[in-house]
Amino acid sequence: MPDLDGGGRLRPMLAPALFAALLSLAGDPALPPPQPPAPAAAPQAPGPPAVAVAELPAILAAVRAPGARAVLVNVWASWCEPCRAEMPELMRFYRDNRARGLRLVLISADDEQERGTVERLLAAAAFDGPAFIKRGNDMDFIDALDRRWSGELPSTFVFDGRGQKRKFWPGTITYRELERSVGGLLGPDPAKPAPTHPKTRRPKP
Amino acid sequence: MTFAAAALAAVLPAALPAALQMSTPLALGAKAPMATTKMKNVDGKMLSIADVAGKAGTLVIFTCNHCPFAKGWEQRIAELGATYAKKGIGVLLINANDPAMHAEDDFAGTQARAKSLGLAVPYVVDDTSNVARAFGASVTPEAFLFDAGGKLAYHGTIDDNHRDPSKVEKRYLKDALDAVVAGKRPAVPESKGLGCGIKFRS
Repeated sequence: MPDLDGGGRLRPMLAPALFAALLSLAGDPALPPPQPPAPAAAPQAPGPPAVAVAELPAILAAVRAPGARAVLVNVWASWCEPCRAEMPELMRFYRDNRARGLRLVLISADDEQERGTVERLLAAAAFDGPAFIKRGNDMDFIDALDRRWSGELPSTFVFDGRGQKRKFWPGTITYRELERSVGGLLGPDPAKPAPTHPKTRRPKP
Repeated sequence: MTFAAAALAAVLPAALPAALQMSTPLALGAKAPMATTKMKNVDGKMLSIADVAGKAGTLVIFTCNHCPFAKGWEQRIAELGATYAKKGIGVLLINANDPAMHAEDDFAGTQARAKSLGLAVPYVVDDTSNVARAFGASVTPEAFLFDAGGKLAYHGTIDDNHRDPSKVEKRYLKDALDAVVAGKRPAVPESKGLGCGIKFRS
């Protein structure tokens, strides 16, 4: 998986090779082809969170829907204490970087009957992005996100704007780790005249 | 190896910093690591994996008391343990969780759970979490089934529905146990399920 260097940009020498590698991997057999986003997947829709009970294709469509520079996918459950413990940092990172093109997709492993609980928790966190309760075979779901993933909760995955997975963390994540690994994929903050990231360049007009 | 694959392999380590704690589970065909390490069973006796090894094979399951996935499967784990112990499979349930994270994962909690389940197989505490680390186990429950020769024949989850036994379609572990008891290789030697992360002691 290509990673970013400390400055958050692809190493110049590796960039062409990486691009070729990414192209060759674009048809990852583990991932079904992109499909139109599910209604619940509308990014950054205002109002309370609508948690959709969904199977793998709809979830992947929300992850790969165009319009984001980076997509974080967090797999959690309402009863999972480490999941809930990391949620405030995850939400803070999302809020701080939403305007820079970050999408956060939350996938709960809760039972469908727990939908009310999941919605209450996400409303309390003021989350307004796509949220799902996963339905269907665990193994297919796990391998579609990453074949190296054991299925441990929580886990967080990073995709770039092309829907290409960049990284994943089994276990809890921190704001700092997210910033280090996702920051370089994001655009400048439109609310700030000068980008805070020293190496982030504004796109040419 | 194509050029693209070579390029990808060249940068792969960069994507996997040590801090990530990505566990690599024991490979199929491998022998049980730390097989002679003694762990305290719920009856107070010290037991190792080698102590429980069966003639037909050995089943090691990392599980715990607090996790909803483990709880969902615990009755089925107890039943499989009792059934296959009679068929020559040595069975050992191991709780490797740090009770500092969940008090019910301490020794007393483990004893209580063994009693309430009426466990017919031993349930020990890996009080350093090092056995779980050596196996590369990462979730609860996670099963490792060794064949009569002591080689890992199956690794994975219990079945495909932790919530509702009546809706199970794929009995991964039971099918693997039947194969090993019959001296055959499991048709599905590896499976996965969502699970709670093992709370390793630091």
